[in-house]
Amino acid sequence: MAKFSKTWWGEKFINALEQIIDSGRLSRGRTYARTGRILNFHLSEDKITAKVRGKKNPYFGVYKEPKYNTSIKIKPILQKEWKTVIKLIGTKAGFVSKLLINEMPENIENAFSELNLHLLPHSSKDLITKCSCPDYANPCKHIAGVYYLVASELDHDPFLMFKLRGLAKQDLLKELGKTSLGKILLPEFADKKICIENTESYYTKPQTEKVGTVNFKKFWTGSKQLSKQHIKPVSETAINAVLIKKQGDYPLFWDKDSSFIEAMEDFYQRVRDKNRKFL
Amino acid sequence: MHIIHGTWIPQPIEEYLQEGAFYLWVETDKTVGRTKKREHSRSLAKDRLAQFLSDEIGVKQVDSFKKIDAGISAKYFILPSAHNQPLKSYELMQFTGDDPPETFEFKAWEVSCYQVQALAVFNLLKNIYFLFSNSRSNTLLGSDLAFWYHYTQSFKEIILKDRYIPSLRYQKLPCPKDKRRKNYDKFRIHPTWEIISDKYEAKIKAYASWMPQICVSGTQKPMGQNIFFDRSSLLQHFSENMLLAIIQNTQITKKYEKQIEGTFLSDCMPDSISSMQDYSKSAKSNGDSYWKTENALEVYKNWRQWSEKLREHYTSTVFAFCFKLKAAESEKDNWKIYFQLQAKNDPSLKIDLADYWHMDKTAKTRVKKVFGKDLEKKILLHLGQAAKIYPKIWEGLETDKPTGICLNLEEAFDFLKESSWILQESDFKVIVPAWWTPEGRRKAKIRLKTSSENLKKATAAGKNYFGLESILKYSYELSIGGEVVSEKEWNDLVNAKSQLVKFRGQWIELDQKKMNQMLEFWQNNANEKPEINVLELIKLSADEDKFEFDHDDVLKEMMAKLCDKSKFEVIPNPDKLNGKLREYQKKGVSWLSYLESLKLNGCLADDMGLGKTIQVIALLIYEREKKEAVLLPTLIIVPTSVIGNWNREINKFAPHLSRLIHHGSNRCKIVKEFKEKVQKYNTVITSYALARRDAKLFQSCEWERIVLDEAQNIKNPKAAQTKAILKIKSKYRLALTGTPVENRLMDLWSIFNFLNSGYLETQAKFRKAFELPIQKENNAFKTKILKNLVEPFILRRMKTDKNIIKDLPDKVEQKVYCTLSKEQASLYESVVKDILEQIEETDGIQRKGLILSSLTKLKQICNHPSQFLQDNSEFTKQRSHKLSRLTEMIEEAIESGESLLIFTQFKESAIELEQFIKNELNYNTYLIHGSISRKKREQMIQKFQDPETEPSVFILSLKAGGVGITLTKANHVFHFDRWWNPAVEDQATDRAFRIGQKKNVFVHKFVSMGTLEERIDQMIEEKKKISGAIMGSGESWLTELDNESFKELIALNKEAVWE
Repeated sequence: MAKFSKTWWGEKFINALEQIIDSGRLSRGRTYARTGRILNFHLSEDKITAKVRGKKNPYFGVYKEPKYNTSIKIKPILQKEWKTVIKLIGTKAGFVSKLLINEMPENIENAFSELNLHLLPHSSKDLITKCSCPDYANPCKHIAGVYYLVASELDHDPFLMFKLRGLAKQDLLKELGKTSLGKILLPEFADKKICIENTESYYTKPQTEKVGTVNFKKFWTGSKQLSKQHIKPVSETAINAVLIKKQGDYPLFWDKDSSFIEAMEDFYQRVRDKNRKFL
Repeated sequence: MHIIHGTWIPQPIEEYLQEGAFYLWVETDKTVGRTKKREHSRSLAKDRLAQFLSDEIGVKQVDSFKKIDAGISAKYFILPSAHNQPLKSYELMQFTGDDPPETFEFKAWEVSCYQVQALAVFNLLKNIYFLFSNSRSNTLLGSDLAFWYHYTQSFKEIILKDRYIPSLRYQKLPCPKDKRRKNYDKFRIHPTWEIISDKYEAKIKAYASWMPQICVSGTQKPMGQNIFFDRSSLLQHFSENMLLAIIQNTQITKKYEKQIEGTFLSDCMPDSISSMQDYSKSAKSNGDSYWKTENALEVYKNWRQWSEKLREHYTSTVFAFCFKLKAAESEKDNWKIYFQLQAKNDPSLKIDLADYWHMDKTAKTRVKKVFGKDLEKKILLHLGQAAKIYPKIWEGLETDKPTGICLNLEEAFDFLKESSWILQESDFKVIVPAWWTPEGRRKAKIRLKTSSENLKKATAAGKNYFGLESILKYSYELSIGGEVVSEKEWNDLVNAKSQLVKFRGQWIELDQKKMNQMLEFWQNNANEKPEINVLELIKLSADEDKFEFDHDDVLKEMMAKLCDKSKFEVIPNPDKLNGKLREYQKKGVSWLSYLESLKLNGCLADDMGLGKTIQVIALLIYEREKKEAVLLPTLIIVPTSVIGNWNREINKFAPHLSRLIHHGSNRCKIVKEFKEKVQKYNTVITSYALARRDAKLFQSCEWERIVLDEAQNIKNPKAAQTKAILKIKSKYRLALTGTPVENRLMDLWSIFNFLNSGYLETQAKFRKAFELPIQKENNAFKTKILKNLVEPFILRRMKTDKNIIKDLPDKVEQKVYCTLSKEQASLYESVVKDILEQIEETDGIQRKGLILSSLTKLKQICNHPSQFLQDNSEFTKQRSHKLSRLTEMIEEAIESGESLLIFTQFKESAIELEQFIKNELNYNTYLIHGSISRKKREQMIQKFQDPETEPSVFILSLKAGGVGITLTKANHVFHFDRWWNPAVEDQATDRAFRIGQKKNVFVHKFVSMGTLEERIDQMIEEKKKISGAIMGSGESWLTELDNESFKELIALNKEAVWE
């Protein structure tokens, strides 16, 4: 069974739910999320709301496909407490660097634990959930379904976790900007304006130029006599896919549970293996 | 003569997808009849091209076209032209001897071209380069192809180092003409691949500036106007096409397809790329229509954000980020990595981050001036990226002022072995302790302890070094970093858990597996006391990685001498040598005699002019002075053209050495007689041709030594001549050559096969082990090993060596004695007979005229029969030994990169020589004689002198070229024939020997033995002693001689003619 989350923080987010809900509801919830029964998924300031397409169930007197309203709220951290936490985050280059490449720093909880706080949901007390379905249990399978979607959303955007804890990204950045590291790196956080670059050709277009004055000898032989000394033997790379590894994994365009970097490693290796004899 | 050309030509279309192909074409020196007006008249047309490609290049083995003709089509090149004809290429002009034109126009010509399959380009270029760049055959590589070979070799890096990424290209689609249609597709996004690397950008820049324009002058369709492609965009177009060809050749599995299904990467897969390029089929996964949707645009934007960040790493940083490892000093786990910055434009500018963070504001500002703005941001971004690759770095980022990290022993070892490489591959810089660098690393090796015990015994017994063949004893020891290690220590190290240990105060890396193997080897062999000979010992020493040696003093000295020839003591000038050896010549003799004392054979490869002959003669005298035992005769095998010279030189320097010239029709041909006769002589001189023809004679005798002059004559191991020579038995063998043999590896093998047979293994093994890896793959390791192997046996001093220059006078004069060929001798004799008959009957003016004209005739005969006969007969070297010797010497000089002047007093011989050197030897030539205009002369002189032009031959008639010009690029001056007045010759010589000459000048004066040339030479030598220029500049005084004296002057001394 494919995991819903591919990052450690997404997984940890799910762990919190798994502690308070039975496995049957959990797996049905996953199916809900995977089969597209969750509609109008919406993240507001501090809560997640969604409509979930339920199932007909004559036993409960449901004859028509119902739509249930669900909401999930995570216990917020107070603004005052945030200030302390962010000050701490701002003293650790590792935290900031990780956030920069859209990753949750592994030891982020250290910054919270001093105040006895948690960033990721820790226990059932952290979650406030509601659903309009007739199920007596809370959280129900509909909640679980929505929850899974949030986890996968978190993979792409770890800042969402801060938002769910009551601190929007811009507030976070504003606060971070007051620290020394924040001052240095803040511009990097700002979403760059992506300009579309129009291209006239699939390959770089070979430009042409009028023939100017030409030296006869240079026309044929060029400006430099190339000899064996100009060839440096090239060895194969010692590490696969080194170029793309400098960025984090799971880039935004990669909508997969498996790792982008691994997929690329595999491909680069294939290219070298298949073409070595042609080079 | 064929010259192979080729280049990349883009498709002639204006569409979004514009591909291209690589085309080969072949130029020849022969004009071919053309049917079409615009056809290139000197390029091979379809059928001949196909033939050439399959016969000469073996295209089929590399390229997969079933039929070569199918790949041939007409392409168009804009070429320098004149008189409505394409001009020859520069390379072809070099060969045919045309002068590059001063003016020309550009015109397009149709050329038959062979299209190379994209994927075959790399290998085909590699093969063509290998076949023709170093050859002397009639096919040459055009500079255009040489350029592409170099570029493709360099481009390999992109593929081998994964410097490309999946990419998306956005194409805005035009608004349809029907304006009512609102829902037209506004864009289309193309999945593809792109190269990202700062090295690539630098490559494009450099190679574009080196690219010959012939590479950008080809088009697939005739163009209306003269247009070239822009060099750097053409290179990029080529590179991107190559990348995609390689991608498309990569097969992927179903499983992998599944793994990436639904992502844009799946649209970058080989099949999808091929079909996308096709535009007709839709791609497998997302499909053509998908890439026009808003969802696709979203993917594009996300991709762009990602790729922009990747690109940022390569641009705008003026510093390299360094990780410097510092070894633990006392505690074993206390290793540190320091973060440092190093300025790219001045690597000596380094700063430790630990220092930086503590600086005050003004100091920081100063640092930022060097390392660029946004410095702190860049530092943190670099660290973040480095940490992605080497996660240990995160530990150093627990602060806002990162300075470094601490490592334990195991982590330090991992860093040295792996992470440091990974960081370096990712363009970070790593500084490791000196003991880890290849130079500083201490290795575990098997140590051979050798002793020359037996050798000493032999010496004590008065046997001298003789019979050293299997005399060295040796035993094995274990060693680390050059220090002997006991078995227990070794075992302790092998059993140490870590691969990095501190041993006797220094950190070393241990390869326990290898050490175990070594231990086993040692245990098995330690107690034996085997023996090897010197040759095997030298062979073992060539591989420095496996073994090290502990020699006793005698052997230590021996190895030191063999490896560093400057260590040789010079011998005293041999008493009986009629002349003085220069210092380096004394060293040469001492080296030769030392090698022989070790029963080894060497190759004396000094530059031409440094006196190899006199060193051999000195050796012959030296060994006789040193030894009481009777020596066998030495057999000297030489090219026919220098037999006379050898005889002359021995006679001059060592008249007491008896010599037998085995040459000419009167030579002894009976084995028994020959064997007896030979015993009476110290030396026997013969030619290569006779060494083969009279092989039985030579093989029947025992020789002290065989000397091969111009040893490249045995470069073909299959030739009968080589085989015959290899069968001659002798105690020693000595090869002489002036051409740099190291560069032609098979020649080198052949010479070694003669010298120390078996030392370089069989030809096939040698080819596999050295020739192919070195010449085809530039294998540096193999080059090093081969160098170690052959160096002890080759003594090559160059004129440019500082030590040599100091021993040489600025001007070195030398006579080159040659014999007359049979034809020359009989012509000479009959002319002399004629003259002597006539002279009795004439007097007065008539007599004067007769004398002068006969002098000219005789000199012409000495130069070449065709010059005398004036019958347009062939000017070949077989007919004149003088020309043949000149040819050999020119080849030696040019091969060593030197230019030379040739003076002759005859305009005709100047012209003939020029034609001959240009056409037969394919060297660049210039010619000045009386009828050449002043302007042309100046141009030639300028071109000749230009340091950028290749080494060339300048031929001058003595009168026209004698004064006023400077030709200091030449450092060899040849006087092909002689003038009565040394002052005139000296004046000519001074063309090269002038202010501005930085090299020593070598003057070679040809003398035909037994002829009036020799008499002239003697007269000049005598007169010189009295006064520099006593005689008039002309020959008229000769007419005053009486008949008897004149007869003496011109008569042929038959003893000097052997044929």
